[in-house]
Amino acid sequence: MKSKCQKRTHQDCLRILDGREQELEPLRQSNLVMVGGTGFVGTWIAEMVAVLNDEFQFGIKLSLISRSTKEFAGRCAHLSSRSDIQLVESDVRHLSQFPMDADWVIHAAANPDVRTHASNPLDTASVIVEGTMSVLRTAERLGRLKKLLYLSSGLVCGAQSESANGIAEDAQGAPLPEASFIYPNAKRFAESICSAARAQSRLPVLAARPFSFIGPYQSLDTPWAQTTFLADALRGNAIRVLGDGHVVRSYLYGSDAAYWFLKILTTGESGDVVNVGSPVGVTLQELAKTVAKNFDPTPDVILNTAPRSVGRVSRLVPDIEHAQKQYGLSVFTPLDEAVKLTVQWHQLSNH
Amino acid sequence: MRHNHKIRISDPTLRDGSHAIGHQLSAKQIAAYCQAADQAGVSIVEVGHGNGLGASSLQLGESKTTDSVMLGTAKKNLRSAKLGIHVIPGFATIERDLKPALDLGVDVVRVAVHCSEADLCERHISFCRNQGAEVWGCFMMSHMISPVMLLEQARKIESYGAEGVVFMDSSGHYLPDDVRQRVEMCRDELSIAVGFHGHNNMGLAIANSIAAADAGATLLDGCARGFGAGAGNTQLEVLIAVLERVGYSTGVDLYKILDAADLAEHVLMKEIPVIRSVSVVSGLSGVFSGFLKPVARIAKEFDVDPRDVFFELGRRKIVAGQEDIILEVAKDLATRAAKGAI
Repeated sequence: MKSKCQKRTHQDCLRILDGREQELEPLRQSNLVMVGGTGFVGTWIAEMVAVLNDEFQFGIKLSLISRSTKEFAGRCAHLSSRSDIQLVESDVRHLSQFPMDADWVIHAAANPDVRTHASNPLDTASVIVEGTMSVLRTAERLGRLKKLLYLSSGLVCGAQSESANGIAEDAQGAPLPEASFIYPNAKRFAESICSAARAQSRLPVLAARPFSFIGPYQSLDTPWAQTTFLADALRGNAIRVLGDGHVVRSYLYGSDAAYWFLKILTTGESGDVVNVGSPVGVTLQELAKTVAKNFDPTPDVILNTAPRSVGRVSRLVPDIEHAQKQYGLSVFTPLDEAVKLTVQWHQLSNH
Repeated sequence: MRHNHKIRISDPTLRDGSHAIGHQLSAKQIAAYCQAADQAGVSIVEVGHGNGLGASSLQLGESKTTDSVMLGTAKKNLRSAKLGIHVIPGFATIERDLKPALDLGVDVVRVAVHCSEADLCERHISFCRNQGAEVWGCFMMSHMISPVMLLEQARKIESYGAEGVVFMDSSGHYLPDDVRQRVEMCRDELSIAVGFHGHNNMGLAIANSIAAADAGATLLDGCARGFGAGAGNTQLEVLIAVLERVGYSTGVDLYKILDAADLAEHVLMKEIPVIRSVSVVSGLSGVFSGFLKPVARIAKEFDVDPRDVFFELGRRKIVAGQEDIILEVAKDLATRAAKGAI
């Protein structure tokens, strides 16, 4: 029997798939491997596969490869206990083989926690770069591989130009070659490695560049704006916004993102690069207020908890014209709804 | 535009000042000064053992008053000012010290580490952030690494979720240009606030603080009468007056902060900090001001010039916690003197 939380995420996937499931028809009776499969994206992919199998009889077999499968099994027993989902414990850098009948591979292995990037930049780079080499070499041995989707990062083009509304896939620019930008630099280099594998080994590889996400399964312990605001409000505290709240980000809901990734994987052409995110920018002040209005009593939103002297407005929003035109993708869950669903899920989860 | 931002004042009189009196602050003294600082409009009043929360010990000096009594007393006597604490990971543990402190109503936590060791404060910063407290990272002895390396360390503090980073001039070594360069770099590269904590070994604490403000720092530390070890800290009431003269707004009432400083002089201090010769040497050599007393004692014991000890400690880049090296240096100097080498 599903818990209330599980019912929510199941409904989230069903809502996205309603009338669109045929778009994912290539996945029917196929084998999908997800490397780095127990994080936010991997968990949502697993949710989506479960719904495709349960509601639409797709018959997909999913292998989730991760170095934290035990933690995942404890957190998501409803997924880990399924017969159509197999957990494989492995460090991405030391893969031995994928299931030989794998049709699709999604490579999402990386640690997105900025604290790890700062404290352990070499390991961050190692997981991304050596991990990607390992995934590609392992994939070369697959006889029926149709497509390999590499999850890069929306940060690989560096800072967004102040004049641009959104960052397009072909934006010029790159992160500075400094330790603090090791994550986007490693992601950028890994994209190059994917291109090299395509050129040299004819591997059918394409890349998606994720921007910011929101939704169930995102740890509230991570120091991102959306998780910090949610954590503040769920603890009954005021929501604290660093600075003047003018920083702009955009957020795509978890089930939307899972559908996007599967759609890009199954219908994209080798060599394509696609932004994955919401094009609707929101200031952190607006985001904090959106979170706050889901609580009673409504928590205060405190700006400038530690004022800065210079207001450099940071903006990170994707241009998704390519995703819209080429793949027919759009935001299915508006931000208000995404925040509401996330808050409700955490409240149910806490109970 | 030079003076376009408000400066927030953090007052560690009741924390850094503890060093000057062997950590012997009483609850009554804490109550009296908290009331005065609060009425003056100080934003943050920092309270505790000189080395921060949980640091009372035989090695570092035992506090007269327990952390819980100090913080409870301060909280009762602060109406608008926030209650701050200084936390050095290792001395203060999360379960034993930090949790009870937050339960007592601490508003602002400043997690301090040696300037090249930002990694050490990740857990403490994360914990405070998750508890809803305002948390800053502080770099002690920040002059000891290059501005670029300091920025790298500051980025770590930012990634852990701190709301700001404070550069502490623990040995009073900086010149205003040094401060300006570091603050500007962080102002431009980080998305969090920058603060500055000065010491007055070379008489530059006020000038350095103004340089920090001009470069974009939005938080400045100052102690009443400069109350602190050795040459003391940035003198708070002077800092307020100069900031006012220069054109910054602080929200602090000048007359009331002058009154608070008068009160501090009579209620808290045995002697007002002065820049003694050895403090100048401590500043020049870039050695932690807290070494003054042990250096004086050990230099006397080995009959060597404490100034030579300081310069040698500076050459060896000795930091707090390496007090044993003082003995080694003094012994070495004495041996060399006996051989006629110096």
